[in-house]
Amino acid sequence: MSDPRLFRLRATFIEQGRLALLSHLEVAHTLERTVRRAGLPYAVSQGFSPHMKIAFGAALPVGVGSTCEIFDLQLTEYVALDAALQALQKASAADLMVQDCRYIEPRAAAASVAFPFSTYRVECADPVEEVQVPASVTVVRKKKPKELLVADYLAEPFAVDGCGATFTLEAKPTGSLRPDVLCGCCEFGSPVVSITRIAQHA
Amino acid sequence: MAAFESLWEELAPLVAKAERPSRYINGEWGCVYKPEADFRLCMVYPDTYELGQANQALRILVNRVNACEGMAAERGFLPAADMCDALREAGLPLCSIESCAPLRAFDAVGITLPHELAATNILEALDLAGIPLHSADRGEDDPFVIGGGPCAFNPEPYAPFFDAFNVGEGEEMLPEGLGLIRALRRQGAARPEVLRALAALPGWYVPSLYEVLDEDAAQQAGSWLSPLAEGVPPVVVKQVYGGFADSPAWEPCIVPYAEVVHDRLNVEVLRGCARGCRFCQAGMMYRPVRERSADNIVESVMEGLAATGYDEVSLTSLSSTDHSQIAEILARLNERLAGTGVRISLPSQRLDAFGVDMAGLVAGQKKGGLTFAPEAGTQRLRDAINKNVTEEDLFGAIDAAFAAGWRRCKLYFMIGLPTETDEDVKGIASLVSRAYDRARKAVPPDQKGSVQISASVALFVPKAQTPFQWDGQISPAEAARRVSLLRRSVKYKAVTVNWHEPKTSLIEAVMSRCGREGAKLVEEAWRRGARFDAWTEHFDEQAWADAAQAVGIDLEAAAQRSLPSSYVMPWSHISCGASSEWLAAERARAAEGRLTDDCTFGPCSSCGICFDLPVRNQLAAPRGKGGAR
Ligand code: SF4
Repeated sequence: MSDPRLFRLRATFIEQGRLALLSHLEVAHTLERTVRRAGLPYAVSQGFSPHMKIAFGAALPVGVGSTCEIFDLQLTEYVALDAALQALQKASAADLMVQDCRYIEPRAAAASVAFPFSTYRVECADPVEEVQVPASVTVVRKKKPKELLVADYLAEPFAVDGCGATFTLEAKPTGSLRPDVLCGCCEFGSPVVSITRIAQHA
Repeated sequence: MAAFESLWEELAPLVAKAERPSRYINGEWGCVYKPEADFRLCMVYPDTYELGQANQALRILVNRVNACEGMAAERGFLPAADMCDALREAGLPLCSIESCAPLRAFDAVGITLPHELAATNILEALDLAGIPLHSADRGEDDPFVIGGGPCAFNPEPYAPFFDAFNVGEGEEMLPEGLGLIRALRRQGAARPEVLRALAALPGWYVPSLYEVLDEDAAQQAGSWLSPLAEGVPPVVVKQVYGGFADSPAWEPCIVPYAEVVHDRLNVEVLRGCARGCRFCQAGMMYRPVRERSADNIVESVMEGLAATGYDEVSLTSLSSTDHSQIAEILARLNERLAGTGVRISLPSQRLDAFGVDMAGLVAGQKKGGLTFAPEAGTQRLRDAINKNVTEEDLFGAIDAAFAAGWRRCKLYFMIGLPTETDEDVKGIASLVSRAYDRARKAVPPDQKGSVQISASVALFVPKAQTPFQWDGQISPAEAARRVSLLRRSVKYKAVTVNWHEPKTSLIEAVMSRCGREGAKLVEEAWRRGARFDAWTEHFDEQAWADAAQAVGIDLEAAAQRSLPSSYVMPWSHISCGASSEWLAAERARAAEGRLTDDCTFGPCSSCGICFDLPVRNQLAAPRGKGGAR
């Protein structure tokens, strides 16, 4: 992770429209192809099956969109930021568009752990007055039902405004509560139209 | 005609709930949209997205049609079973990928017929699309349904469902025919008039314009079909794309989001194979051999990788290591791709030391398994099928592979080939056992335990347009007996024999060899629930058995009967270029165990393709020592 001869580029991108239906793995493959199409001087690992040195942020559930996804890419040469951004944008699909990029320290935390808090926006069909949040949610892990206490994960409560609400979840080292699963157990008084991750923070 | 408009809003809730939604969303990298077009084709692969997306024919034909001014081509796939049911329940039709428009709203629907087990899927797709299943029931507002691909070489069991077939390579033939449909429709021509005009184009077969004779009359007349109108040809000759060798090997492609089969850059380095294996339909269908040049291939690979971002390129063809410049191509690509992490792959290995050298050039440090296809266990049977491979070739390949670092090798065989005896079956056991001995000898003493040799055995399926088209398949019981004889004859526990219970092989043989009566069988099987027949978990043996009984076809007899070479087959009005006399002569040579030369190395064996069509073998350099055999 911290080869000092490499340059570490952190890019943010959106995931919207039909492409919110992609799985984490499908997004990962697509981004690797985007980087190759962009012609950036990406670093390649050594060993039996060499692969691009790229790392992805926390997985987004299928069906949840985002305005703030992250990947980290290691480059063998310095590329000016605006040139890198332009190349990436030219190689990106509109609904999976890279928004910006910057260099980060070789030792900076990986994208997957650097931002344990995610803020989501849930949009409903009609104006929302209040959200009824259950105390616990039952999920299936390794084929066994498991009860998660919402309070353990909900870092900031649902803030209602207009046709929706905003809330923040914390990812724990032991696991996380999926935003779509949580919303599925909440009562908004109106059908949920979309869920979007709008910020990731430390 | 149904309105050409996107039904995405209606489909979206179904897609969100489907298993693998990425099968149904469009917007993949490389999609082409032509909203301004006034004539539209939807090219359909009759199976799911992940099986069809990488299909070469689909990709080429969509590109060719999109290259025509005013014409647009989109893709369509059969949804997976869960989505087929969801669409029906919601009352929604099958839609194209790009515009998400109903197939019914297209001017033409092309369906590729990739193998014998896709027939019920074609009916499933037409039914979901709301297009009448039978050509005879289609009206002026319905699309023209056009078939093509390997099974168009015996189109009879599909005939009633299609308005027309393309026989041979569609690069030029399809745009030409679509252009004709478009022009005639503009002039207000009615459907029958358009079909008659199509029948006059080379390579276009319009089944409704023929009368089907009964067996006796057919044998008398020398054909099962007799043209019903003037200008309808008694024999439809396959078309060959003459510009193949000189056209760019970079064929723009779509980069899917979903994981699909062959998900990599596929570059077609040559077309055709003249080795002349007597069971092989592809070898007959794609003759003559046409190679693209090393310069063309290397530049195309670089261009394709830059445009797609793939991390793997496959040099595809029926026999890529036979390319006269293959060593040069691989060396140049290795140099250009060094340090990029991009892998090169070859779809199959030629069975000799040279094949292993070539595999070594692309394997890098990672040496997984190698696969070879000797097909038969004894020299006698290999000669009978014209698989021009000796034990020296096989053992040379094994020595080279295991010395070079490979530890796993899989050998493919067929059981039930014409003239096969128990000696030949035991020969397979002997061959793999000796291959195992050779492999162990070729590796360092401490690694002998890691040597793995396995044999994969498939049941012979007689294919239309091959020298073995007249030969019957052995019965399932006989196949089981021979496989158990084989298993008993293998002397090492470490050598595994894989045999997949071939319930579908019977249907494959029937579909490959039957005439127009087969269409009734297909329709009845589909009505009884058969679909996705190529998927083990979906194949419904009972539906086919019941259907056969209902329509009065004896499946076993249809698959198993052997006929004299003078017998006129139900596809005799379709010519793959190799003449029926030559096929019969090849069958006779098989019985005598006589080999026939590969005409890209040796003399012409007069199969006839180059006599009837303005094409010849076209090699980038002479094939000979050095690079090739
Ligand atoms: S006609 Fe002769 S040269 Fe041409 S493909 Fe047939 S065997 Fe080969």
